[in-house]
Amino acid sequence: MTAVPERPDYLRVFLTFARNSLVREMIFRGNFIIDTISSMAWVLINLAFYTLIFRYTPMLGADTGWGKYQFFLFLATTLIVNSLVRGLFMENADEFGELIRTGNLDFVLLKPMDTQFLVSLNRIEWSALGNLVLGLLLLFYALGKVDYRPGPVQVVLYPLYIGCGVAILYSLMITLAASSVWLVRNQSLFNFWFYITNFSRYPMEIYRGDFGTPLRLFFTFIVPVLVVVNVPARLLVRPLAPQSVEDAVLPLFALVAAAGSLAASRWVFNRALVSYRSASS
Amino acid sequence: MAVIEIEGLAKSYRVYQKQEGLLASIRGLFRRRYRTVEAVCGIDMTVERGEFVAFLGPNGAGKTTTLKLLSGVINPTSGTARVLGHIPWKRENAYRRRFALVMGQKNQLWWDLPANESFRLHQEIYRIERGRFERTRDELTSMLEVRHLLGQPVRELSLGERMKMELIAALLHSPEVLFLDEPTIGLDVRAQYTIQNFLRYYQQERRVTILLTSHYMKDVSVLCRRVVIINSGRIVYDGSLNGIIDRFSGHKVISLQFTDGRVPGSLGGLGEVLSPEPPRAKLRVPRGRVTEVLTHLLAQHHVEDISVEDPPLEEVIARMFARCEERPTECELGHVPELLGEE
Repeated sequence: MTAVPERPDYLRVFLTFARNSLVREMIFRGNFIIDTISSMAWVLINLAFYTLIFRYTPMLGADTGWGKYQFFLFLATTLIVNSLVRGLFMENADEFGELIRTGNLDFVLLKPMDTQFLVSLNRIEWSALGNLVLGLLLLFYALGKVDYRPGPVQVVLYPLYIGCGVAILYSLMITLAASSVWLVRNQSLFNFWFYITNFSRYPMEIYRGDFGTPLRLFFTFIVPVLVVVNVPARLLVRPLAPQSVEDAVLPLFALVAAAGSLAASRWVFNRALVSYRSASS
Repeated sequence: MAVIEIEGLAKSYRVYQKQEGLLASIRGLFRRRYRTVEAVCGIDMTVERGEFVAFLGPNGAGKTTTLKLLSGVINPTSGTARVLGHIPWKRENAYRRRFALVMGQKNQLWWDLPANESFRLHQEIYRIERGRFERTRDELTSMLEVRHLLGQPVRELSLGERMKMELIAALLHSPEVLFLDEPTIGLDVRAQYTIQNFLRYYQQERRVTILLTSHYMKDVSVLCRRVVIINSGRIVYDGSLNGIIDRFSGHKVISLQFTDGRVPGSLGGLGEVLSPEPPRAKLRVPRGRVTEVLTHLLAQHHVEDISVEDPPLEEVIARMFARCEERPTECELGHVPELLGEE
């Protein structure tokens, strides 16, 4: 029998992954419920904390434009980006190191599909959906409270930049995970992802002065985590009138950064596959 | 038509040499010593369509590494290989749709889900048309007697049942070439028997090309006409199963039963006495002396029953591996005829 080479159907495979993951999470429904509740609780505690901060100050830094509800829009964007990254990729990137260590990556490499796709989306963490919903609720609530109304351009661009943000965080995550091939065990490097992405959780305006500026430049142009939330969040809170050159360049740069990050992660991933040596039988 | 062509295929690994002790471990943080392990050292081999070849060798001989190279899971250090006209480590989808690898020690099915869910995933990955998928699945599950277990989570299956499911998952896309790495390891006799029967039937029916590694001689003797023995990364034998005994064993085993109920003490002078259980005894005798010893036995002793057999295959192979370990240079393919002959 001669098999006809056919193009793999990525969407159907993704949907099957999503379905199987859901069936699996339903089996352990106790765990699913606890996961959902604990991560939602974490969000609510954060929200309470920031509400408290805005009791003391009307704005984050003088003249930055990040008042309470503007910041809530920022927070909602962070939540949306993070829950997408967590739901789609986090468990998979974590598992990738394990696949390398145990040699089970063998099975992935046998499949007639893109290996990075199979590794990255194998398991969908449905419990992250709770935070996505919370993020969207917060988004609409805060939008009702600010004076500025985003127009149709922003409505179109916002999901695009959310996608860019997710792509950047994903790339960073899979790059760190792929380094397991050379280190065999690299839990700490994976934890590094959390430390770095912490920088993305605050508006860029706070990185100012002798100390803040180098940080801002580094985490914008070298490891572009600062554009992840800032670029889409800014779309919602201010008119499309750039106040500085950096402001004007940033949305364009975000697109480049997303494409560049993906390309870099793909390069590292493929290098890792060449170095993969499998594990004893 | 050759389905598998291997030329000078080699794979070496650099492994970290860890020294014993805490101090040495700390030193190892700064300066590491590495050792190069030659897992496969330049093997040549051709397999025709429809052949069922056994790959034998002691642990660490390079069998699994060879299968992994042919599956494209790892890249070789040097040499070439073509399977179905493809270079495996290029990992082209066109190639990956046409073969399968089953590893007895690893599992690819989703642990917490019923096997059927993993099968459906394979259906999507390989884009198997629904009707064909269901026919193949039902046929395979019936043949392996696991149809009633399709809906049970994989973690609740016995090892034998799970292995059958693994095998089915690998066969759903009707591969033309199948690499089986110890598919019956750890299984009970009944499960082994079912899998052997299944493989024999499936291979004959579909004319697939199979490369099998196993430590169970039963698997090999039931399934394979051709046997390739690999040791320390080199092929030391490539031929028929019976040929192994002719080539590697210079001995025959004479089984005796004596009339007077005793085993004569002088038997040791004729050959190596194995398991004397009066009135029976077994005598291991060099091939060239069999006639002479038989004549002597029949003339000097009261023998009730006598038979001459080849030594068990396991024993021949075990002795050969031991010998290879002691004198690796003698284990080149060219040296084989002398091997074990004068032992």
